[in-house]
Amino acid sequence: MSRETPHVTCLGCGLTCDDITVVDTDGVITEARSACALGVRWFGDGRVPARARIGDQDATIDAALERAAAIVRGAPRLLVFCATDVAGDTIAATVALADVRRALLDSVTGTDAGAGVLAGQERGRATATFGELRNRADRLCFWGVDPAVHAPRFQSRIAPDPDGLYLAGGRRARHVIAVDIGDATGPADADERVRFTADEAIPALALTRAAVLGHTVDGSPLADRAAALARTLVAARYLAIVADGETGPARAIQGDARDAQDEGLLALAESLNGPTRCALTTFRAGGNRAGIDAVCTWQTGYPMTIDFARGVPRYVPYDGAERRLARHEIDAVLVVGSAAGVPERIRRLIGAAPTVIVGPRASDSPFAAAVAIDTGIAGIHDGGSVVRADDIPLPLTAPLAGRVPATVTTVRALLERVATS
Amino acid sequence: MSMLRITGGAIHDPANGEDGVVRDLCIQDGRIVASLPSDAPRLDAAGMVIMAGGIDIHAHVAASSTTMARRLLPEEHAADPQAAPALDDGTIPRSGTGGTVPSTFTTGYRYAGLGYTTVFDAAVAAVAARGTHAQFDDTPIVDGGFFVLMGNDEYLLRQIAAGETERAREYAAWLLASTGGYAIKIVNPGGVELWKRNVRQVRTIDDAVGDPRITPRKVLETLTAAANALKLPHPVHIHCNNLGLPGNIATTLDSMRAVAGHRAHFTHLQYHSYGGEPGKPWQSAARQIIEYFAAHPEVTGDVGQVMFGPATTLTADGAVEYMLHASSGRKWVNSDIELETGCGIVPYVYKDTAAVAALQWVVGLELFLLSPDPWRLVLSTDHPNGGSFRSYPDLIHLLMDRTYRDARLKTINQKYLAGSALADGIAREYTLNEIAIVTRAGPARQLGLVTKGHLGVGADADVTIYAREADLSHMFATPRYVLKAGLVVVEEGQLRRAPAGRRLFVRPGHDPAVERDIKAFFDRYGTISFENYPVARVAGTPVALP
Repeated sequence: MSRETPHVTCLGCGLTCDDITVVDTDGVITEARSACALGVRWFGDGRVPARARIGDQDATIDAALERAAAIVRGAPRLLVFCATDVAGDTIAATVALADVRRALLDSVTGTDAGAGVLAGQERGRATATFGELRNRADRLCFWGVDPAVHAPRFQSRIAPDPDGLYLAGGRRARHVIAVDIGDATGPADADERVRFTADEAIPALALTRAAVLGHTVDGSPLADRAAALARTLVAARYLAIVADGETGPARAIQGDARDAQDEGLLALAESLNGPTRCALTTFRAGGNRAGIDAVCTWQTGYPMTIDFARGVPRYVPYDGAERRLARHEIDAVLVVGSAAGVPERIRRLIGAAPTVIVGPRASDSPFAAAVAIDTGIAGIHDGGSVVRADDIPLPLTAPLAGRVPATVTTVRALLERVATS
Repeated sequence: MSMLRITGGAIHDPANGEDGVVRDLCIQDGRIVASLPSDAPRLDAAGMVIMAGGIDIHAHVAASSTTMARRLLPEEHAADPQAAPALDDGTIPRSGTGGTVPSTFTTGYRYAGLGYTTVFDAAVAAVAARGTHAQFDDTPIVDGGFFVLMGNDEYLLRQIAAGETERAREYAAWLLASTGGYAIKIVNPGGVELWKRNVRQVRTIDDAVGDPRITPRKVLETLTAAANALKLPHPVHIHCNNLGLPGNIATTLDSMRAVAGHRAHFTHLQYHSYGGEPGKPWQSAARQIIEYFAAHPEVTGDVGQVMFGPATTLTADGAVEYMLHASSGRKWVNSDIELETGCGIVPYVYKDTAAVAALQWVVGLELFLLSPDPWRLVLSTDHPNGGSFRSYPDLIHLLMDRTYRDARLKTINQKYLAGSALADGIAREYTLNEIAIVTRAGPARQLGLVTKGHLGVGADADVTIYAREADLSHMFATPRYVLKAGLVVVEEGQLRRAPAGRRLFVRPGHDPAVERDIKAFFDRYGTISFENYPVARVAGTPVALP
């Protein structure tokens, strides 16, 4: 029988559109109305396995939890990795488990967005929630990022297309600047286009900031282009600089240049407050990554890569999962969330240690697991809450609730077993 | 059925007229009762001081801004790691970090360790309320509630412009019910909206906020009237315009006059009590505030004392934080929050060698020491803005001990202190009962919490027991016992139990017809579905309205 569930929140990207109507027939999603291509792919047909496995054998959930608990309890150096597609309450239970077991806690933020977090901790951040951009930003500068790729509904739901409270006229009332960094291009329909090579991008940021601050720059062609960019940015009443917050393999800008860019963008946005108002906003990938950061932060004081080995949270952003695994300093791994969301470079290293996976499609994991317990996907089978990329929390309506074990229930059951041992 | 008889302690319960009365205090099933069977378990408090659990009327502990501040401060957290306590109640003890903005579990543990059992977050963006509930879920022991930011809310400003005061009131009611909030909060009325337009300060409370029909005065009048018409237990909670600026006493007094005759709470008044003007010497204007309070019994307030040492300034008042960042060069977070409010954060250190910080310290103490009615002007540091809640014991010491206070006064920068009442000498020393008023009974009365802040029959059995010590800072920092809802959570000075706290919220009724208009606004300008905006479930039952 066909059924419609309105107001569903999509975790296909960090935009977390909450206006999706999910249509399912007997538990199979047939339509995710209003969703973009990323969202349609993320919802899929909603079918997930509901197995528990010990090694390559099916097992009861109780037996799998007992075995998982034994592995977790028996590992002096446990890695807890928080992957994607998890709701806030699941993340909270996961952090608790890492705390109780004195584990290293890492996440997709530590592996894929750490540079921006660290830069923000050094300098701070001038930002705004998406709605402020929608209603106020008369100029938008897309810095090496195309929303059509990473947040396809950004243009139609946030900016530049919609009318804003202070911007009647929608797209016509806004000026869009695309800053193309090598192959990382901005939106195709920008009103103004500025191009830098990948090598030029970092000095261009510094030169643009210098021009904004009124400093004389060196008169080189690059400085002249940066000064021109500064003039167009300062002309805004309220400027939004939009960049990419992720560094995963699907992203356009990589490596050391990426680290320097994060710091440079923060500095530029900060300096533009004064001459005008400016907010830097960054795209995040899907699966509730900002939620992982938020819960980790409020429970421990740190957003990512936390070592509980000494009985207190220690921030080890430069010595996270990848390095510990590579040095064979991990005795066992607990992955909570979608195994498919674990970055490839972590997956490659995980095989050396016994691994427990609790999450959606755990039994179909792309890497070997000593124990795999299938649970629901946050937002499809699991309710709770999610945090948008701009730190706004949203509810999760689970259109297919109750069809597979809830992740939070399973993680709490594991926590109970290891906390009372 | 749990029972406990606390024997031999001196009870300081000003709400019930008890000032050091030595008698048994009887507790049953989480409440104070008149008597217990003679064989009920006993707790010997002979020679000790007994008060109700402390109530923090204004702190920042569970908002989205608090988590932004936590994220900004890894260096503070690294310097103050907190191991998990040794609990014996079966709850999972949690480690955390401290500093001026502790992690959630550590926040709960440390408040309880000070004898505080109720805390209100003073500034929550409605759109982020769901996250505040989640943070309170992870903040054990203390009962918690929050105030909802409305003073720059775009929908509300539009109702003001249209003269739709009734719809504004209904919207406020809907917003409180939708978020699970406790009171209406105004921060820099209209000024946060102006900051989004790069205007950093208002000249008067009659400045236009874009539309000439919208002014800070109109915002104050509309929301004060709304809170009173809705019979909320706590009146509108007002953070005035021009916080921290010299000469801001003019806008502060104008704001008070704008709502004269109506219940209103003016918060962290220390930051709003400066004479002088830009470019000229700062002065204390504490006396003018006190004179106003003396003539207006309908007004309440909290002090927002500055304590020397590290702090984290965090507020919805983004313009203030921009100016602090610009003047100090310190790292800065700003987040403009859609259609509702803003947020700014700057880590800071109040140095006793700095002239302005010294004046701020003096102004706060003057407000305390000149106040004729401690019931109406209670203790806060605007944690963590003026300093951490962990500095409360030292603040209490300053209030109770003139010798200690005067000795400290001599060591601080004197540049702006000429003519100040404190510099001229104030002999007053707070009594234990006055401390009980400004930390428990007064906040409870201001918040309309009829079962808190006192030890009469029927009250929540939130109790703090201090061993008497000559060192008052130490005495108030290390209570011997703390009971939360009748459960001994601190025993012999050690945290032993960490039950979940209760949520304090109101659910005023509203005219359902208003929702159609609100939904239309959401549909046109929002980024969240109207249907997804309300927090679906808040644990517990709402605080009853009269």
